[in-house]
Amino acid sequence: MKRDRDRGKPAAKPKMWVEPQPDAGLDDLFAVLGYKVKSSDMADVAEKLEQLDMAMGTTADDGASVFANDTVHYNPSDLSGWVQRMLTELSSPCAESSITKFINFSGDDDLSAIPGGAVFGSTGAEDSENGRKKMKAADGGSENPTLPRAVVVDSQDTGVRLVHSLMACAEAVQMENMKLADALVKHVGLLAVSQVGAMRKVATYFAEALARRIYKIYPNETLDSDILLMHFYETGPYLKFAHFTANQAILEAFAGANRVHVIDLSLREGMQWPALMQALAARPGGPPAFRLTGIGPPQPDNSDALLQVGWKLAQFAERIGVEFEFHGLVTNSLADLDAKIRGSDTETVAVNSVFELHQLLARPGAMEKVLDLIKAMRPKMVTVVEQEANHNGGAFLERFNESLHYYSSMFDSLESNGGGQDVKMTEVYLGRQICNVVACEGAERVERHETLAQWQARMDSAGFDPVHLGSNAFKQASLLLALFSSGEGYRVEERDGCLMLGWHTRPLITTSAWRIAPDCTH
Amino acid sequence: MVRLRAVGEHGREDKNTSKTFCINDNIDVLIEILKRLDDKSIGVAACVCRLWCALTRNDALWEHLCFRQLSPPPEGVRTVVAALGGYRRLYTVCVKPVLTRLRKMKSGGEMWTRHEVELSLSLFCVDYYERLFLAGGGGGGGRIAGDAPPSSLMFLCKAVNV
Repeated sequence: MKRDRDRGKPAAKPKMWVEPQPDAGLDDLFAVLGYKVKSSDMADVAEKLEQLDMAMGTTADDGASVFANDTVHYNPSDLSGWVQRMLTELSSPCAESSITKFINFSGDDDLSAIPGGAVFGSTGAEDSENGRKKMKAADGGSENPTLPRAVVVDSQDTGVRLVHSLMACAEAVQMENMKLADALVKHVGLLAVSQVGAMRKVATYFAEALARRIYKIYPNETLDSDILLMHFYETGPYLKFAHFTANQAILEAFAGANRVHVIDLSLREGMQWPALMQALAARPGGPPAFRLTGIGPPQPDNSDALLQVGWKLAQFAERIGVEFEFHGLVTNSLADLDAKIRGSDTETVAVNSVFELHQLLARPGAMEKVLDLIKAMRPKMVTVVEQEANHNGGAFLERFNESLHYYSSMFDSLESNGGGQDVKMTEVYLGRQICNVVACEGAERVERHETLAQWQARMDSAGFDPVHLGSNAFKQASLLLALFSSGEGYRVEERDGCLMLGWHTRPLITTSAWRIAPDCTH
Repeated sequence: MVRLRAVGEHGREDKNTSKTFCINDNIDVLIEILKRLDDKSIGVAACVCRLWCALTRNDALWEHLCFRQLSPPPEGVRTVVAALGGYRRLYTVCVKPVLTRLRKMKSGGEMWTRHEVELSLSLFCVDYYERLFLAGGGGGGGRIAGDAPPSSLMFLCKAVNV
């Protein structure tokens, strides 16, 4: 996580202001910012800020009070009034936070004497029987009994506390200690407000998901997931990476074929196929006859969404001169597909699954059934794109921690794409996944992501051999990532012939390719 | 009032013998020159006169601009590109942003290989397909705001801070 800049803190870097200015009177650098600070006090102030820093660093995890870092500071010269306001706001509503001392700035000098040994000093918050953090009323300080002391909290510190609180809450949920979990979830909500950017969003979503789990309120989806997916497609390179790398593998498998058949296990809007059709059209010798079978869920309004997508793809194919045929298969779950989608023997078949297979793990036996179904189609190539994380562990706490790290990286990478409606929708899309992983159980929990190693084991035992994605796919993927604004963050990594899209060191999405093992007798 | 000048005849004859060269009479030469320009210059050239404007709309010119550095030029691409909106659109929507971004990334060396071409073409297809969706209305159930332009390639238009 990026260190968030502390807004509202009077002195940004204490070490910078150590030398007092030669001219007495107000320090003009501070004056520019609107603070009236005597130059002669600067060394003193700096020293005390260092003590403040140290004192804060030594305080334990005792639920310290939090300054909302995005406070609007209307009157910068009235520093004492600001501090007072913030402290009174914070001390009244929440019983969990322990507020300590107050600062009273006397005189027209804004920074007269921040008392040394400030901040927490002797605040040891004890856990009561209920697990609520008690507020330790700190009456006066050691040096200046009448001067209240300021609590200025480092937001990175709060970030760490936030993560700890989230994990503590998850642990409480696992132990079924709902009262403690309830208290902690509220605490997390409070801490989350002090953060900015990715951390705040992640914490908010996880807190909401935990709350849903505790109170057993399950969400009802209002926004159509296809719409969210379209926005996800447009944000960042994630889905484009998935589509382009899978297409490259399919293209190579189709080399030399005259009739090809692609089975898409979740057609959605069919965004993957125009690029493949174009690549087929551009190959020397002309395009093959292209047949597409798209699978999708029934629509709530009984409209035939699959057919409409098929129609658009047909229009596209006609434009570029590719012979095209479309079939749509409507089903609630892949495991319910009994019809064997068998192509003719003259066709080369490819099966494609983008973020779809993991959902089968929610129903026992479904995965094996579908893999058998796929094998019955005799495909030359099976492309699988999945999230690279283990969100299917047995223990709730383990799943929680894994998903916290994964989605933190995802949201972090989203930050680099700026704002906009697409990003917001993508956050909602990811938020839904978070909710599913954390709050749901059993057949409802469909976001059962697994790592590449787990998929490799599964495909291997089902009778598939890995196919290495070539250097073409790697090059295309690297180029694609280079086009995105923060090309420094996104990475392509190759592992065992599979390609992974990652954010810095954390892999996020993996594309793998498979074929039926030659000695498999199924 | 028209004055017939006997001298005029002579003048014209003189003109014929002095061989003035007007570029607008030699369109093939003009096209050859235009082919060697970069996109901004072509834009400027388009503002010169109607003839030049019509010439710069010629897609072959833009095809040359797109694949100038690539040898051998990719085959089989022309029909596809023409069907999806032409090379001028390909250049504006895909090739130019891709090149600009990559130029910032790589300091030197080959910038325009077939990988970049393939990527540009893929993005071009995505763009066309999305416009198809919008043209067909929200019936596909794909978008919330039906009037929003396809934003799949908007990331290419955003300013890059490298």
